[in-house]
Amino acid sequence: MKNPLVNVFGFLVLTILVYNWIGYVITDLSGGGKDVSAATDISPEGGESLYWGKGRCYTCHSLGGQGSAVRGPNHGQFGEKFPLPMGSRAVERAAERTEKTGQTFSAVDYIIESMAEPGAYVVKGYKNEMAVVYAPPISLNLNEIKAIVSYMMVQGGDLDMEAIDTAPSEISAKFYSKINAAQAAGGGDPGAGEVVFEDNCEECHSLEGEVVVGPDLSTIGDKGIKHISESILNPAKSIASGFETYEVETKDGTKIIGLKTRDEGGETDITKKNGEVVTLAKSDIKKITVDQNASVMPEDLSEAMTVKDFQDIQAFLIMQKAEKKDGE
Amino acid sequence: MKQVFNRLARPGIAVITLLALVLFASQAVAQDANEYRQFLGMDSRRFVWFLAQMHLYFGAFVLGVPLFALVIELVGWRTGDEKYDKLAYEFTSLLSVAYATTAALGGLMAFALITLYPTFWGFMAGVFKDIMFMYALMFFFETFFLYLYYYGWKAMKGGKEFGRPLQLVLKAMGGITILLGVAFTFGAFDPETGMRTDTRIWFVVFYFVPISISFLMIKNLKTTHIAIGIMLNVAGTLIMQLANSWAGYMMSPVGVNEALEVVGSTWQAFENILATPIAIHRMLGNLAFGGLVAGSYAAVKFIGSKTAEEKAHYDWMGYVANMVAVAALIPLPFAGYYLGREIYSTSAVMGNNMMGGDFSWTFIIQAMLVGSLFLISNYYLWSGMTRIPGSERFYRYIKFILFALILSFAIWLTPHNLPLSAVEVGEMGGSQYHPILKFLGLMPAKNAVVNLIILSTFFSFLLYRRGNKVDPVSIREQGKTAKMVIIGAAIAAILLVGQYAVTMLTMDPAALDLPSDTAYYMRVIGYLLIFECAVAVLATWLALNDRGKLAQGIYLSVTAFNVAIFLGVWGFVVMEKASPILRNVAVSQFLQLISCLILVTAIDLFLWKGSKEVGPLKWGKMTVRSQYALLLLTIIITMNMGLMGFIRSGLRGDWHIFGIMRDTSEWASTPTNFVMTQQVGAAVLIFLVACAFMFWLGNLVTKVAAKVDSPTDTGEATE
Repeated sequence: MKNPLVNVFGFLVLTILVYNWIGYVITDLSGGGKDVSAATDISPEGGESLYWGKGRCYTCHSLGGQGSAVRGPNHGQFGEKFPLPMGSRAVERAAERTEKTGQTFSAVDYIIESMAEPGAYVVKGYKNEMAVVYAPPISLNLNEIKAIVSYMMVQGGDLDMEAIDTAPSEISAKFYSKINAAQAAGGGDPGAGEVVFEDNCEECHSLEGEVVVGPDLSTIGDKGIKHISESILNPAKSIASGFETYEVETKDGTKIIGLKTRDEGGETDITKKNGEVVTLAKSDIKKITVDQNASVMPEDLSEAMTVKDFQDIQAFLIMQKAEKKDGE
Repeated sequence: MKQVFNRLARPGIAVITLLALVLFASQAVAQDANEYRQFLGMDSRRFVWFLAQMHLYFGAFVLGVPLFALVIELVGWRTGDEKYDKLAYEFTSLLSVAYATTAALGGLMAFALITLYPTFWGFMAGVFKDIMFMYALMFFFETFFLYLYYYGWKAMKGGKEFGRPLQLVLKAMGGITILLGVAFTFGAFDPETGMRTDTRIWFVVFYFVPISISFLMIKNLKTTHIAIGIMLNVAGTLIMQLANSWAGYMMSPVGVNEALEVVGSTWQAFENILATPIAIHRMLGNLAFGGLVAGSYAAVKFIGSKTAEEKAHYDWMGYVANMVAVAALIPLPFAGYYLGREIYSTSAVMGNNMMGGDFSWTFIIQAMLVGSLFLISNYYLWSGMTRIPGSERFYRYIKFILFALILSFAIWLTPHNLPLSAVEVGEMGGSQYHPILKFLGLMPAKNAVVNLIILSTFFSFLLYRRGNKVDPVSIREQGKTAKMVIIGAAIAAILLVGQYAVTMLTMDPAALDLPSDTAYYMRVIGYLLIFECAVAVLATWLALNDRGKLAQGIYLSVTAFNVAIFLGVWGFVVMEKASPILRNVAVSQFLQLISCLILVTAIDLFLWKGSKEVGPLKWGKMTVRSQYALLLLTIIITMNMGLMGFIRSGLRGDWHIFGIMRDTSEWASTPTNFVMTQQVGAAVLIFLVACAFMFWLGNLVTKVAAKVDSPTDTGEATE
């Protein structure tokens, strides 16, 4: 007690040692560091490694008595709520999906759907909040997703690697192409992209083959990701034919800039950036010219979006292809 | 003067270096692939982590202590008690060395990022170039106000009131600031892309309001000095906010496309989604940290004191420091909840990973630390009761509070699944879940006990406050102020709880993807909140009719029952039937708790105001053990800051900038908790030893100044 600073220093060191001891014990108890390395082989073993590692499935799901997460359904056999493990439970769920959609779902189809479109079937009592595993930050690729599907199937089900990998059903193939397309678009979530589209684009663009103000986007996916990206970031650079921006000067000196949306009889309609339609008598127009460097599409659209919004809407638009429309 | 210049020059050089670094670094944006380098073969990630941690500790110190000193100076000015003023001055004297060290560490950290993570730094400098310049320039303002505040302290001790013309000019400036603030509130200065509501509120509360107050309050030299203190804190807060925007951006970036082209504005990057929630959490954390570091200074001095006067002084200093820290600690869980919610809204993956993924066990350590903070704070309060004549009457309650705290602490620490061996699993019937303990590991149990811990601590504080008071005072006879404050607090409490009651009674379950028959689970919460509002009305009526103690008792008991028992159990029901509603249960618990704290504190303020005392407080009559408790609080909060920083930063996983720039280095994985405790432990040790050195240096300067001043001074500088 003669030198208080020595005592205080000793106390400090002791406390820090206890802190480190707690860190050591907790690390030891919880199984050490997580192996986040990705497995590339499409197998239940690869899927297991992903489930408990890079895929972060364990964050929300448990597997029977393994893991402790309760946010999402347990994937193993667990209590009265989950009498069947995932592999055999998927057969029952597939029957429900078949009845609901009119398409013949297999167990594999159901599990793939639950990852490609988690909101399509939400287990009662749970929220539709599953992460899009092929989008950042998890960003699983298609092979990794297939590996997890195989891991789920061996939980009490029959493993059919052909159905998972080499010869997927039509339903599975559709989901695989969705995942591939989304990844090509920077790993966005097409579901979230649809919401971004409704909030920002729907007022002027249709996905049903109609022209509202701007061009129809029902087949824009066929033009590729670069075209989509450029159309959002720099709309004036890639104006679709028939959607040029006109600058109209009337005889009284008024200038109007917008799309020419009607030109018949003695009248011309110009739709401005804000959606307002101005009807002009042709006799009142002094000059009408096409402005190659302007677009009525908001140029600051990308600024109003978060990175995620941008990736999501690209993922949504890349899926708008003629082939898809024909198939529906 | 030369000495002052030298001191000013030290951080100045660091700032100029930083400016040069920003210019240099922006060249790196064009690099294609991520580049990583090493220094002396060290793990670059751990090296940068250590430097960042040290910089943040010193940064928190130089931001927290002025905030703490200003609060103390304000108390001294309002009460006219000179010892508060001296206390504030004593703490401010510690800042000059810490300030230079903080700036030097900041420069070192920037060097490390530029040289070891050139691609990342280049990108960040490209996005935040404007902000970085502003950040560096703000240091000049802070330096100016800090040294003016410290060196001008004795020269600005009071004096005559300023002339009327000068006062009018200052009032006009205050008025203009208010008008600008109002215009800002209604969007007059909004950038083209708009402004987030939380950013707007932050600017109004932390910049416009204090600046206008500082202008309006200036009447003489002393109030000018306080105004300088306010400006010092405004500058410090702005520096913190600017730097926070980078940390927030790394978690919730905006305005960048997939090709890493910056398409958004600097403003959008600055006010990214998580910037303000992190800033609020840090602001409260810094205040608590500043208070506790000051408290540890007092504790060390107390332990080394040789005279009763010294013991009394440092005991009192420790008490004041601890009170400020606890006042900031109590709302911290709410700020943490808000931050957590925003993280979850930004990315469900990050949110889930926080308490349910990689960091679930880190949160168990955090629970140990935060639980210890509350337990030790209570112990310090109980020890403090030994210096209060008359407080023996309340000793009998301590064992019950201790029981509630330990029970709550134990429940908080109980994990949901137990890490067991195969044999142990077999003995438990093949499950990792204990038949009873598994329930204690779930969120409803944890939410209930966290609320109970805060309520118990608050109850200890109430007992401490009335330790030497004999009879409560009539509130009815206390004039308008008492009634207005209590009624105002009641309105605030009822509004907080009431608005959420309406939400719960009208919410459509479909909003949570739930079937309509689950509405019942929300409605029950709504009716409970209405009941809480009714009890608030009753408590207010009782308090205004001189039944204050009964009012406090009823309101505290009902709140404890509602949040810890009723909603604790209801949480389990909801979890089973409609788990998404569990979040609403947690919000309703927090709202009831904070409403209770507001109203009961308001009643307490007037219930014992000027009441008869058993005897004066015996400052210095404290055990040495209690001082080690104070020290332990400081060590724990410092460790906890490091731990929480690890979690916040680790949530990004292997992304430098979440979803945009992946960490492709060899150090990209999430370190184990043991690595974290080693890293944080080392930083805590070095930081606190450095603090001790600064305290010693500050003490040396004070002693030398006292010797120099003593022949001509009248004793003012001999503290």
